[in-house]
Amino acid sequence: MSLAHQGLWSSPMLRWAAAALVVFNGFFPALWILLTSIKNEAELVQKPITWWPETPTLVNYIKAFTDQPLLSYLKNSLIVAGCATALSLLVSAFAAYAIARLNLRHRQLILTCIVASSMFPLVTLLVPIFETMRAFGWLNTYAALILPYVVLNLPVCTLVLVSFFQSIPRDLENAAMIDGCTRLGALARVVLPLAAPGVFTAGILAFVNAWDEFLLALSLNASPAVRTLPVGITLYQGEFTFPWPIISAALIVAIVPIAILIALFQERVVGGLTQGGIKG
Amino acid sequence: MLPNWRDPSEKTLAVLLLAPAFLLLLLIVVYPIGKLLYNSLFAVDKDSAFIGLRNYLDVWQDPLFWNATQNTVLITLITVPGALVLGLGLALLANLPFRRKWPVRLALLLPWALPLSFAGLIFAWFLNTDYGVVNDVLRRAGLQSEPVSWLLKPNWAFAAICLTVIWKTSSFIALILLAGLQMIPNSLYEAAEVDGASRWQQFWQVTVPMLMPSIMVALIFRTITALQTFDIPYTMTRGGPGEATETLAMLIHKYTIEYSSIGMGSTLAVNMFLISLVVTGFYLRHIGRDAA
Repeated sequence: MSLAHQGLWSSPMLRWAAAALVVFNGFFPALWILLTSIKNEAELVQKPITWWPETPTLVNYIKAFTDQPLLSYLKNSLIVAGCATALSLLVSAFAAYAIARLNLRHRQLILTCIVASSMFPLVTLLVPIFETMRAFGWLNTYAALILPYVVLNLPVCTLVLVSFFQSIPRDLENAAMIDGCTRLGALARVVLPLAAPGVFTAGILAFVNAWDEFLLALSLNASPAVRTLPVGITLYQGEFTFPWPIISAALIVAIVPIAILIALFQERVVGGLTQGGIKG
Repeated sequence: MLPNWRDPSEKTLAVLLLAPAFLLLLLIVVYPIGKLLYNSLFAVDKDSAFIGLRNYLDVWQDPLFWNATQNTVLITLITVPGALVLGLGLALLANLPFRRKWPVRLALLLPWALPLSFAGLIFAWFLNTDYGVVNDVLRRAGLQSEPVSWLLKPNWAFAAICLTVIWKTSSFIALILLAGLQMIPNSLYEAAEVDGASRWQQFWQVTVPMLMPSIMVALIFRTITALQTFDIPYTMTRGGPGEATETLAMLIHKYTIEYSSIGMGSTLAVNMFLISLVVTGFYLRHIGRDAA
């Protein structure tokens, strides 16, 4: 810590206030939704509104699953994000290994091409991607989302993996090859296990990206059976009004998996973000 | 000669390993760009008549296009600096010497991981006329006698969307800047202290210049995503009231998906692409100059 900070921030009170401010900013929206989701119907239409639930109930969660196909949205999101993550890792690990290790003439240019694709506004490609998927007959299928998500994840994953591959000593690989491994054997037995933390980091970033994507999911997979969570919850229809208590419960269900993932692997996520940080 | 598949030469292996990535880029990025330009020259669909630049003339005369462009540019001009300032503030606070680091770190990661569409839904609930927490707090504070329907008033709806975008995107900027702050060597502050620099001077003459590379990275990615703003206005207002909060991305989505007008959708997309190209070009030139 810098001297500059020590003077002012040596006061524990001020440090507490600073931490409280950051924590409030980050957690309040999720906390408020959580509180909304456990209020009963009578309390929700009470005016003035209550802050703390008077009689906590789980009925909104049950309704979220029975009134709307939330389970199916959850399944769709898991399949799409899971497949997109696995495929992103495979494709970007191949590319990253070639860029980091093989004797390529245009190494930098190739990496730039891959990273530059992320500078391209995805929205402008909505029309042709929509047409392509329609031509393949893939609208309203998982593949319509998985393939674009892999491209979406390619720059981040490749950047993270290139830097991990470069950190593995070449000698280890050479030693394996002297011992009779082929280059592919050395990749599978030596490099990939050592790069496992990097693969894992890239995987979390890819999963969060795919889990969160909205525009393509809304445009290509709007039919109820294949909706992902963000689309499904946004298009929730109440009989008379937008059903906020049920929406809140559904939001909590959708946020929890991702919150657990980032809570468990905070340091890796932060490390990966600053290495290949590309996401609004 | 057939390549040896079990132990290919380095060149063959490189081509094989790079092929999947480039095939995907070809299918999802390169081919669509070509298709986009081609489509923009046809009436409604590819079966319809070739009409040259008519779509472009139509788009440029369409007040909806200029309205959406204005909204998009305004959102970018407001939310990018806004998120940068809030993100820098959060990063400076999070960089304090806390004994336990995880609560603060998680507080920055959670908004980052939250889908934009969920942020839109949650803030729309905050701003709900009858049951929203914002009106409730204002009433309790005695600042409001009648509840305000924030999202039904054009200017307030626009402000609400900007606020939500700033909140949602500032945590990513804070994470990038926090990493940058942790790289600044202590000795720089010590030297500044010896030279008698005030805390304010240290901030502007040590922290900000040292943080510049991180700030530029955050600015570029934030600007590119700001130009594509879709999720938050879609979930909060659907572009309303009227078209007060409609962005270019929403207009493209509307023409393409709702009106099935591929030609107009493509023309709008080309225009949007040109706008992002100008902005990105400006940044790259600026960075090039800084690096030199």
